[in-house]
Amino acid sequence: MNGVRIGMALARERLRGASAPVVLFLSGAALFAIGVLERQSDAESAPDDALSGAAFGIALPLLAYLVSERVCAGQRLERSVDGVARYGTNRRAALLGVLLASALCTALGSALLTVAALLGAHAPHSPSLASDLRTSVGIALIAGLVYALYFGAASVLCKRGGGRKWALIVDFVLGAGGSALAAPWPRGHVRNLLGGAPVVELSQASAWLALGVIGVACGALSVVSTAE
Amino acid sequence: MSELRFEALNHAQLANVDASFSAGTQVVVGSERDGTDILIELAAGMRRPASGRVLLDGVAAWSNAGTRRRIACLCAEEILLPARNVTGAVALALRARADDRSALSVLDHAGLAHFADQRASALTSREARAVALGIALSHREPALLALHEPLTVAGIVQEDFILRTLSKLGAAGAIVLCTASRLEDAARLGGNACALERGLWLGSAQARPPLSTVTLRVRTPEPRRLAARLSEAPDISGVEWAGGQELLVHGSELERLAQSVVANARAEAIRITALKQDAPPLEALAAARAGLAQAYYERARSAGNTTSQS
Repeated sequence: MNGVRIGMALARERLRGASAPVVLFLSGAALFAIGVLERQSDAESAPDDALSGAAFGIALPLLAYLVSERVCAGQRLERSVDGVARYGTNRRAALLGVLLASALCTALGSALLTVAALLGAHAPHSPSLASDLRTSVGIALIAGLVYALYFGAASVLCKRGGGRKWALIVDFVLGAGGSALAAPWPRGHVRNLLGGAPVVELSQASAWLALGVIGVACGALSVVSTAE
Repeated sequence: MSELRFEALNHAQLANVDASFSAGTQVVVGSERDGTDILIELAAGMRRPASGRVLLDGVAAWSNAGTRRRIACLCAEEILLPARNVTGAVALALRARADDRSALSVLDHAGLAHFADQRASALTSREARAVALGIALSHREPALLALHEPLTVAGIVQEDFILRTLSKLGAAGAIVLCTASRLEDAARLGGNACALERGLWLGSAQARPPLSTVTLRVRTPEPRRLAARLSEAPDISGVEWAGGQELLVHGSELERLAQSVVANARAEAIRITALKQDAPPLEALAAARAGLAQAYYERARSAGNTTSQS
């Protein structure tokens, strides 16, 4: 447990600074503005368009990618904990701590971005705002968590964690479809949960399950591929 | 009693290093170009060897957190752990080592308390190494101290403190493995010396002999007769003939060897068509350099002892 806590402390120190809140605030403001523009264009479909397009389609994966890059200090995931492993901390435990911190931050950031997008897309006193917020924030929390683990697993690939970039590209390209090729990536299942086209005709309940499987598989891959 | 073993170790510059160390101070003379920085990182379990093994008491530190916890190290380049200030970085390092002492007490003990409130990123690389050395020397019961050039930070950390602590930990049963590129530093660190020469490991026994053999290539139409004659000559330590018209003649001194070959050939009326010195192998040159270094090292050490006695 001490190793996990040290990993979390390491990630927290790496995330510390003004740039992370500033980027989050600017992204939130941009999503709010996009929501407002969508509402002015078509008020009925504005929440769906703002969420599935700008928020979950672009902002959330980018946020998860940036958080992952930052907590890994631009390194491969297992190398990012070398600094504490040299003093005798178990690499796997420290890595788990880094992943947990990354997942929590991404989930929280995703929820805030979703709230910003919905506040822009809904009229100020819209009766559906509260229920939409409840549902979408739940999806954002899970999607943020899974994306963080997904980028964590990708960070064990390539030099200096270059697998993260590939994971972002693959998720954008393959995850956009609805065929079996889209099944291993989070994008298609998140889209399904938001009411978009499903991946290989999976139900929404199965999409929750698929996201859970992707998250657990990515977390396990990161830990297993690292030496103690 | 702890034991550190390098078994058939190959990694970056290091070529087939086989060595073992027990408690006490061991100094590896060589520079980063020779692979001393990598040797320390491998010993500390910070890198996985490309091939071969690095074992501390029979366990590979790279893949065993418990073993790494018994190691204190100082690398060629140190980046402190991320934190608001140096105190925070040291505190995180101590937590990672499951050491409950305060960061301030560790810094104060090493005479580095003035860095406590500074930002870790504001330290120079030498100051960061000094802080890392302070953390390493604060280890309560290390089995191994793997230190790259510890005396280069003397001035920031008191040299007397470094030498006293190393001596105390070595006497308590720890393996103190230090590298030094300056022979004066190696002499001040004391203990057993060995050398790394462009990745080639030269143990203390290998490091002593200088270029002791000279080889001449002799071409003659009658190699068998000349080989028989030369094999009895007192100045010649060995003769090799692998067929053909060429002999390899070994001796200890080039001029005497050449004179002896010519005199013996003339006595038997054997014609020599060519005579030239054979280039020594790289290993022999490396051994010669290390032998020279060893001689300087021992002279520096004895001079140091004489000074301290007087």
